[in-house]
Amino acid sequence: MTSHDEPVIAVRGLRKTYQVPEREGGLRAATGSLFRRRTREVIAVAGIDLTVASGEIVGFLGPNGAGKTTTLKVLSGLLHPTSGEVRVMGYVPWERPSAFLRRMTLIMGQRNQLSWDIPVIDSFELNRAIFQVPRDEYRTRLSELVELLDLGDLIRKPIRNLSLGERMKCEFAGSLLHRPEVLFLDEPTIGLDVTMQRRIRGFIERYNERTGATTLLTSHYMADVEALCRRVIVIHHGRLLYDGDLSGLVSRFSPYKTIVLDLEPAEDSIEGLVHELVGNERWIVSVGQERVTLRVPRSETTGVTTRLLTALSVIDLVVEEPAIDEVIDLVFATTAESGELAEASTDDPS
Amino acid sequence: MTRADRVGGLRDAYRAKFRTEIALQFAYRGALAIWLLGLLLGPIVYLVVWTTVARSQGGAVAGFSAGDFAAYFTVLMVVNQLTFTWHFYEFEWRVRNGFFSPLLLRPIHPVHNDIAENLSFKLLTFTGVAPVALLLLVAFDASLQPSAWHIIAFVPALMLAMALRFLVEWTIALAAFWLTRVSALNQAYTVALLFLSGQVAPLVLFPPAVQAAASILPFRWMVSFPVETLLGQLSGEAVLVGLGVQIAWIALALVMLRLVWRLGVRRYSAVGA
Amino acid sequence: MRAVLRDVGLLWLSFRLGALDALQYRADFFVQLVQSSVGLVTALAGVAVVFGQTDRLAGWSQDELFALIGVFTLVGGLIGMVIRPSMERLMEGVRLGTLDFALTKPADAQVLVSIQRVDVWRTVDVVLGAGLLLIAISRLGQHIGPAQAIAFGLVLVAGVVIIYSFLLILATLAFWLVRLENILVIFGSMYEAGRWPVGIYPPWLRATLTFIVPVAFAITIPVESLVGRLEPTTLVGTLLLAAGFLVGSRLIWKLGLRHYTGASA
Repeated sequence: MTSHDEPVIAVRGLRKTYQVPEREGGLRAATGSLFRRRTREVIAVAGIDLTVASGEIVGFLGPNGAGKTTTLKVLSGLLHPTSGEVRVMGYVPWERPSAFLRRMTLIMGQRNQLSWDIPVIDSFELNRAIFQVPRDEYRTRLSELVELLDLGDLIRKPIRNLSLGERMKCEFAGSLLHRPEVLFLDEPTIGLDVTMQRRIRGFIERYNERTGATTLLTSHYMADVEALCRRVIVIHHGRLLYDGDLSGLVSRFSPYKTIVLDLEPAEDSIEGLVHELVGNERWIVSVGQERVTLRVPRSETTGVTTRLLTALSVIDLVVEEPAIDEVIDLVFATTAESGELAEASTDDPS
Repeated sequence: MTRADRVGGLRDAYRAKFRTEIALQFAYRGALAIWLLGLLLGPIVYLVVWTTVARSQGGAVAGFSAGDFAAYFTVLMVVNQLTFTWHFYEFEWRVRNGFFSPLLLRPIHPVHNDIAENLSFKLLTFTGVAPVALLLLVAFDASLQPSAWHIIAFVPALMLAMALRFLVEWTIALAAFWLTRVSALNQAYTVALLFLSGQVAPLVLFPPAVQAAASILPFRWMVSFPVETLLGQLSGEAVLVGLGVQIAWIALALVMLRLVWRLGVRRYSAVGA
Repeated sequence: MRAVLRDVGLLWLSFRLGALDALQYRADFFVQLVQSSVGLVTALAGVAVVFGQTDRLAGWSQDELFALIGVFTLVGGLIGMVIRPSMERLMEGVRLGTLDFALTKPADAQVLVSIQRVDVWRTVDVVLGAGLLLIAISRLGQHIGPAQAIAFGLVLVAGVVIIYSFLLILATLAFWLVRLENILVIFGSMYEAGRWPVGIYPPWLRATLTFIVPVAFAITIPVESLVGRLEPTTLVGTLLLAAGFLVGSRLIWKLGLRHYTGASA
């Protein structure tokens, strides 16, 4: 269907707005609203463009209500956009042609599609029939998934007897039996403990290596994104803030680096000296007898480090990029302050 | 994909769905039995009421003896169980809790899921209904002696009634795409069905205007008609005409279902899934 | 006496909380009004269809049956308003462990769980049922003396007490059998059979509706007392039975509670 150089996902000018009924308090307003409704427009996605190439794993970041889930639902065919052009493997998703549905999957954390009270394997069998997977392929894929996800005997039990993490693993297996070429993962690790998060993450990575499936993933856990996605897309208030690789995101949005110096214990207080050397009060995070921590603008890092190294007896020096979570917080904080995007509403419509 | 492939795929999907669904409903057999009890009690109550009336009126009301009433309501109970659907109770829940989205993402039409659920429910519950029906026939001394052709005509009449009632009620269920509270609509439909499909009393006991309404609207053809057929109340000609009316209604209901479905999904995917 | 007053106070408080909650969803009021009216008209129409063919049904006239439907709707409203929602919550509480909150409060736990949820809009049924009952009585044109009125009041209260105790016993079973959500649905179905006088049913069904699912006491017997057909012995028997049910349900509740706290400790 699609040739190799063509993007698997192509989105141009995607907008999605909702009409939300407005309500006022009071009995009269409430009875009045029974007959006529006042509505207000809420912009969930305010026009975004993006393309994803075959085999990429892309992280989709943004605070609650940024429009991530809406975008994912449009891409998987559940939502009809207000305007814009979307192609996934050449299909228009919301027409939901069965050929398209058989080649993609949408997995949502904390939502189970498998039957609660019958053994998992029976639900799998149903999915096999619905997605028309030939039996021999089904058998090989099932054993492959059982092994990759370490499912073992779990598939003989009903979902209700499984833990949250085990359910999610089964959910993954059930959704991948038809070997989709495009995966939409909405918060796939939400609510899971750290070990289980790591296993799911490892699985997504290996699945992508084995099948070359294009993957779009939203997550609140930066660890997911750091481990899986070389490329991230940040949206906020329905607009694209950043599209590029993860390290670029850090250098673009975090103008500071953290410098930590371990010193030989000095007899006199070094505080005055450090102040003098750094030259700016605000860059100093803490000064102790054995450790100095600074937060210095990117361009000043080399100068400050050199001055400190020559003047103090330094045992160890670490220059760090800030943690990705901090950067993300920073991104959303600054854009909220600047108010440039404030006209878009942020209600989460999903 | 060729048409033969599609049909083969669908058959496979149905077979798998039957298997899981029967396993599932077997797991819920307690709840199922309770559902069934509620479903059976209505006809039994009316059976009792009408046989009491017949006896107090010197044996018969409008040509119905106590035994006729017993036969009528027992057959009605079976037909009602076989034609009954519950999807319009379920749709509101599905739409509100997002359980509809996974169905939409499957490469086959969601109606197939519900048809399979419905048929497996009936298959399982019929095993409970049949002995109850036999018991009632004996206990109330029902006069049911159908001739061979009544039985032969009953089979297509029943199957068409099942199809018609399913299509109509599934289409009504789609109202959940537009309305946040569908219970009032469901109740209005259920009440109309109660009276106009012959569940309160045989339609011939109603005033002519009600009888006409029941025949013009689809209600009589969803429940009462197969019962009348098996009880031998209809002439051969009337049975043939009835089958024709059923087919016509089914065709119309199919068109409506497709139309409402398309509009409903468009709305669902516009306002947020 | 002070305890009883406090319990009435709690019931009133619970009702007010339910009302405040319900007032946020006023559209539900209209839905309930439409549904209750349609339900009532349906029941009346069913009776009318039957009486289109006969003058008496097992000795009951049409207006007497209207009175019966009035009581059926009224009592159904009371059950649907407080008893059933609270019992559902109780069973859920046993399953999910949220019952602990009720048990740690300084009031009688049985009273607390019995009034813990109030579906205020169901008062519509109570009002409609009472209205229909009054209309039916006036149509009966029968003089109702103070003795009959008192007898009716007593038997009606006794009937509601019997139903309450019965549902409490059913819900209390959840302490031993956890998967039991549907048992109240059975009661709902059986209650529907109460819209006709139990006298018309064959012996096995009559016995079921009197002794196994005691719907008869809450509907048929009060109306019989109203139209002066009730034997004094039945009246006394009903009152004694209500007392017995109340004590019995209390005992079973205590037993269940001991089982619950024993099991979770």
